[in-house]
Amino acid sequence: MIQCLKAAAVAAVLIVLLRAAPAQAEPYLALQEGYKCNVCHVNPTGGGLRNEFGLTYAKVLLPAETVDNAIDSWSGKLTDRLRVGGDLRADWTRTTAPNSPSQQAFSLDQFRVYADLTILPDKLGIYVDEQIAPNGSQNEEAYVRYGSTTDGFYVKGGQFYLPFGWRLQDQTAFVRQLTGINMTTPDKGVEVGYEHAAWSAQFDVTNGASNATTGSGYQITSQVVYTKPIWRVGIAGSSTQSNAGDRHMGGLFAGLKTGPVAWLAEGDLVHDDSFPGGRTLAAALLEGDWRIRKGHNLKLTAEYQDPDRSVRNDQQTRYSIVYEYTPLPFLQLRAGYRHYFGIPQNNAENQQLILAELHGYF
Amino acid sequence: MRPRIIFTCLRSGIAACALMIAACAGNGEGLDANGRPLMPGGDMSLPLSDDFESLQENIFTPICSVCHVGASAPMGLRLDAANSYNLLVDVPSTEVPSILRVKPGDPDNSYIIQKLEGHAAVGAQMPFGCPTSQPCLPASTIAFVRQWIMNGAPPAAASGVNAPLSITSVVPGDKEMVPTAPPQVMVAFNHELDVSQLATYSMHIEKLGAGGAALRLDRVQARIAVSDANLRALMIWPSRPLTSGRYRVVMDAGASAHFSDIAGQTVAAGIPDELGEPVISTFDVEVHP
Repeated sequence: MIQCLKAAAVAAVLIVLLRAAPAQAEPYLALQEGYKCNVCHVNPTGGGLRNEFGLTYAKVLLPAETVDNAIDSWSGKLTDRLRVGGDLRADWTRTTAPNSPSQQAFSLDQFRVYADLTILPDKLGIYVDEQIAPNGSQNEEAYVRYGSTTDGFYVKGGQFYLPFGWRLQDQTAFVRQLTGINMTTPDKGVEVGYEHAAWSAQFDVTNGASNATTGSGYQITSQVVYTKPIWRVGIAGSSTQSNAGDRHMGGLFAGLKTGPVAWLAEGDLVHDDSFPGGRTLAAALLEGDWRIRKGHNLKLTAEYQDPDRSVRNDQQTRYSIVYEYTPLPFLQLRAGYRHYFGIPQNNAENQQLILAELHGYF
Repeated sequence: MRPRIIFTCLRSGIAACALMIAACAGNGEGLDANGRPLMPGGDMSLPLSDDFESLQENIFTPICSVCHVGASAPMGLRLDAANSYNLLVDVPSTEVPSILRVKPGDPDNSYIIQKLEGHAAVGAQMPFGCPTSQPCLPASTIAFVRQWIMNGAPPAAASGVNAPLSITSVVPGDKEMVPTAPPQVMVAFNHELDVSQLATYSMHIEKLGAGGAALRLDRVQARIAVSDANLRALMIWPSRPLTSGRYRVVMDAGASAHFSDIAGQTVAAGIPDELGEPVISTFDVEVHP
């Protein structure tokens, strides 16, 4: 009987964990450790392929359980010059909105592979981020990089994600939706970056996502971040010139570590002339990540969005609680609950979401 | 001392963020379902229904025409109130020309439904970016679009029936620069046309040379058609994609007699060119490789 109860308890825990949601390198990890993005990622602005240190961190420091000889397991290096990696996320979601039947589905959220070819050490390289599934192959990032991404200036040319605010795992966060700069919207152009001591800075000239089909216009984006061991601040700005209407954005973001909790905050303001008469929009994020113990993280987020500053009573908020469990190297389980609050006449703005995610990475 | 100041600033910033977020969501008072202010004097907006006017006001105008408007409208599909019906009903989609954007009576084989529901063979689900950067249309909303198509995709109730026959819209419009070759030129009228009076030479497209005053004109091979499902729009379909250059849409000399409504009214429009033929629209195509 006791064994049955134990089995049921284990099953219940597994079910809860399998309902969990995602995790790969997230900015809260960098904040908790006092690292800059380029400490763990090949891309100096974060996300995507992990470098040698990032992979070691993922093998030894991140998981709850250390595996024997973990350090000697997958290194990502196919040759001295070629490093590869990837992320696979499969999830289950259940969405409930007022006056609508609930919807639930298992889905392959994404399978992405990364490759970085060093042509001249610390000088010249080529980076590729390719989404393999779902919906067939799709290039996310592909650029040539010249210069040092660890100390000094570098230049990137090709297709890449723009630097603006916290590079969150959750691409549906209000701050990432409102700015339109997230890891689903790469852009084509050139980036000049600077990395030195506590400073990181980028200056980008790109087509602009809203100009993708028009063949005219451009977007200028810039970001500066100052990083200290237990805090950091950043400022970002972007301006898009487009036939559809110009768009200007500014954002401030900051992080602070207080004991086992890492706090992330971001506030963005957007003025968009593609709306008739122009519109000013705002979004804010506050996230707390509590590292309960090694391999266990509890994430709480509160978000705010005002889709038109000149209109009263149209604001939206969103609250999430997500538990992240990394039992072993290269495997993470996440489960969470998210509640949207918006105007009562719009069902989609008042939906609730339960999500679970299985995340494998290498 | 300095770190203390920084901590104080950081804490203040985070506290300010927390305070802003702690604000409640809007109560929606005085707003429509899209979060836009109701018309002064009360709720003048139409409730969502399977009527085209309602679909235009609740879906196409507030959601779709944010992108699908003007010379840069994706796929040349303009979904503003002046053009959406004429560019949707019985018009082949640009992405999959074998499928009509709206096939009256057949929602499953209407491209707009496939795009809204996210199972079209080409391209992304609409509205663009959903569900990541904006919510997808709920199934209950798409159901009204389906029902409208099932009903035969009728136009909005006619207005100005007693007004003289006139051209209400031309796409591409006069003096517009379009960044991609338009799949068709559309000329919309305020009344249904008497198609028995139309001839293949009633209207045509000319490409203008780069000679300034001494223009060299090339007539673009094209066919003209008026769909039985929408007798208010005349379409000119170039047989080959228009290349970069300046074009004009011209009504043939004496062709005004061919543009009449069923009441026999004829249309007078355009500015006569050097041959005395009325020019309906002059536009530029600037195709980027």
